[in-house]
Amino acid sequence: MSALLCVRNLNVRFGDTLAVDDVSFDLPRGGALGIVGESGSGKSVTCRALMKLLPQTAMIDGSVEFDGQNILEASETTLNTLRGKRIAMIFQSPASHLDPLMRIGDQVAETLRKHTDLKGREVLKEVRRLLEVVRIPEPDRWAKAYPHQLSGGMKQRAMIAGALACKPDLLLADEPTTALDATVQKSVLDLLVDLRRTQGLSMIFVSHDLGAVARVCEDVIVMRKSKVVEAGKTRRVIDAPQHEYTQMLIASHPDRLTLHTPQAAAHAPPLIEARGVQVRYGGRSLIDIISKRDGGFPAVKGADFTVQAGQTLGIVGESGSGKSTLARALVGLVKPAQGEILYKGKPAQPSGRNRALYLRDVQLVYQHPYEALSPRMRIRDAIAEPLRRHRLCPTNEVPARVADLMKQVDLEPMLGERLPAQLSGGQCQRVAIARALAMDPQVLIADEVTSALDVTLQAQVMDLLIRLQKERGLTMIFISHDLAVIRRLCNAVIVMRHGEIVEAGPTADVFDHPTQEYTRTLIDAIPHLQEAAL
Amino acid sequence: MKLSPMFVWGAALVMFWILIALSAPLLATHDPYAIDFEALLAPPSADHWFGADNVGRDTYSRVIYGSRLALYIGLLGVIAPMVIGMTIGLLAGYFGGWVDTIAMRILDITVPFPFFVLVLSIVAVLGPGIENYFIALALVGWVGYARLARAEAIVLRSSEFVLAARTMGFSHPYILFRHVLPNAMSPVVVYMMTDVTLVILFGAALGFLGMGVSPPAAEWGVMIAEGQIYISTAWWISFFPGLAMVLIGVGFALMGDGLAKMLRIER
Repeated sequence: MSALLCVRNLNVRFGDTLAVDDVSFDLPRGGALGIVGESGSGKSVTCRALMKLLPQTAMIDGSVEFDGQNILEASETTLNTLRGKRIAMIFQSPASHLDPLMRIGDQVAETLRKHTDLKGREVLKEVRRLLEVVRIPEPDRWAKAYPHQLSGGMKQRAMIAGALACKPDLLLADEPTTALDATVQKSVLDLLVDLRRTQGLSMIFVSHDLGAVARVCEDVIVMRKSKVVEAGKTRRVIDAPQHEYTQMLIASHPDRLTLHTPQAAAHAPPLIEARGVQVRYGGRSLIDIISKRDGGFPAVKGADFTVQAGQTLGIVGESGSGKSTLARALVGLVKPAQGEILYKGKPAQPSGRNRALYLRDVQLVYQHPYEALSPRMRIRDAIAEPLRRHRLCPTNEVPARVADLMKQVDLEPMLGERLPAQLSGGQCQRVAIARALAMDPQVLIADEVTSALDVTLQAQVMDLLIRLQKERGLTMIFISHDLAVIRRLCNAVIVMRHGEIVEAGPTADVFDHPTQEYTRTLIDAIPHLQEAAL
Repeated sequence: MKLSPMFVWGAALVMFWILIALSAPLLATHDPYAIDFEALLAPPSADHWFGADNVGRDTYSRVIYGSRLALYIGLLGVIAPMVIGMTIGLLAGYFGGWVDTIAMRILDITVPFPFFVLVLSIVAVLGPGIENYFIALALVGWVGYARLARAEAIVLRSSEFVLAARTMGFSHPYILFRHVLPNAMSPVVVYMMTDVTLVILFGAALGFLGMGVSPPAAEWGVMIAEGQIYISTAWWISFFPGLAMVLIGVGFALMGDGLAKMLRIER
């Protein structure tokens, strides 16, 4: 089998920084190659360089041969006959790559009209066929829809349909599943696998998730700091990684991490408890009052759970399931319409008068590490802020306490003088945790704290939380869409869907014997390393 | 923070004017009010660098002294609108609800009138003079600041670090002052720089119309007005104060644009 794509000594340079350093690989016809790496490793730049889709400032050398043609030396006109027609590309955020004012069917038809000889009815027929290929149900109906009417997964499918319009030989997929929920992610991965089989498509799949790559590709290259550190058959790389970094990457995958479930104190009384908590967004209109309806949109419809001291409760659900809203209700950012929250057996009012006292015990850590810190406040001041504001310790002891907190979350003291923008995502997340710990809380609610982080950082933050829980006897509520993470950390889990709790119980029971169909789909969607490609 | 070249040029121009204003008595070659009938409408010469006006006052010295008034009006005139506008805008944006509704309705009433017409009519009612100009600016000028501050506050209100501060149990006034205000400041500061130019220009325009600083004063607008009828024979009376106004305006505008670049937080 001759190579479809042959990359030799590819270098991409932006000014003084080398973004891609001496990358070489071959892609056989019909093959699929995964490029795995963390953010900033140069994987996306590599992918874009293959189509020469980089800004003017990028200096590219080396050679990229596609079907015997050197892409890097081809003229813009030649490139335009390749782009879209023979090499197609799909991106991470379908939302920003679809024209919001154009119907889905028209967007697919646009490519067909440009690159093929099809006319009139034939175009419509082909659009319909393509939408069927990417398994969009009722293609005639959805072809008339606008992008905002489609869910994330459907948008990604529509984008794939557009990419397939001209029967390309090669599909470049840049993190196509990263922004999607687990179940949707699985269905898109299945679709890609299916397309390889039925359409004979060659593929380059860029992802930070080795599990996702393992599902689609038989070959993989691992990139780190602009360099390829390991290349080979996916199976071999996963089973016997050679390079230190690959070993760490694989060891960080939730599949390979040891389970950690804190032992439940025999019959400890519940520390925090929710009874029939219901949260609505939007107020009651006059019509709602007259017709005795509640009005607004119910984000959480009656949640009940209890967490005992020293335990970890996991809340899982896909986007829009109401899990974050529930967390916000627990710290008083939204006021429940009905139901109550009990803390140490007494009704607590997280948004009421004594909230400062309650919040000293119950703290929340947010999802986006950069956004959770005030951008113009130095790290040291950010950590000292709760200490100073609530006078948790005498003023002259503040610097020592801050240093101690920074040590507890493994932050180097010198980072204290920096601004959040000068830290990495993982470091920012540690600062956020240190801030929460400054209050010396009993309960720590972690809202998707690992979701925005790379796999290795994710593992480090999880280890940190586990250690802190052991040292301080913290009670945790861990919210995530990532079941693998939940399984590792929590003794009990609740599964939420459309604002309702559909299943609850000890983690092992829920994972091993799910009673609900929905829970089973969620569990099936966890990307595992052992999944074989084709 | 890296200094942007635009900011450096703008700041240099502004500093140049501040130095001129401070050392006006040293730089001036004549008394700006001294009438000299021998130099009526004298063209630029070694004695009168920028010429002299219809009563023989030295244009150069008057332009130098005029910088004092221009800076005084420009810098003082933006303070009240900024403070009022920021306060209203931040409160409206951060709290939303009825606070926002009331503030925005007042704003809606102010906005449809052309800015200058409104200032002009207020000054006309209150009577000419700089103090009344400042009052008119405070009544009308806050609108721009309020809009900007409100837009920033609405974004910041739901940002995670403000939510995080709320879950730390901090009070609203503290959060507004420590977390919202510093992060809402940069567009406002940039706007303030362009506003200084505007306030100086409008101040001069009022002087031109005889509703600002009253005549014998060495004020650029007044000077341009006085030179108006001689424009074809003695262009220098109006030209030099006009040039001065352009240079001070460009200085503040460059500073504003440069600041906008520098205040952006690079990731």
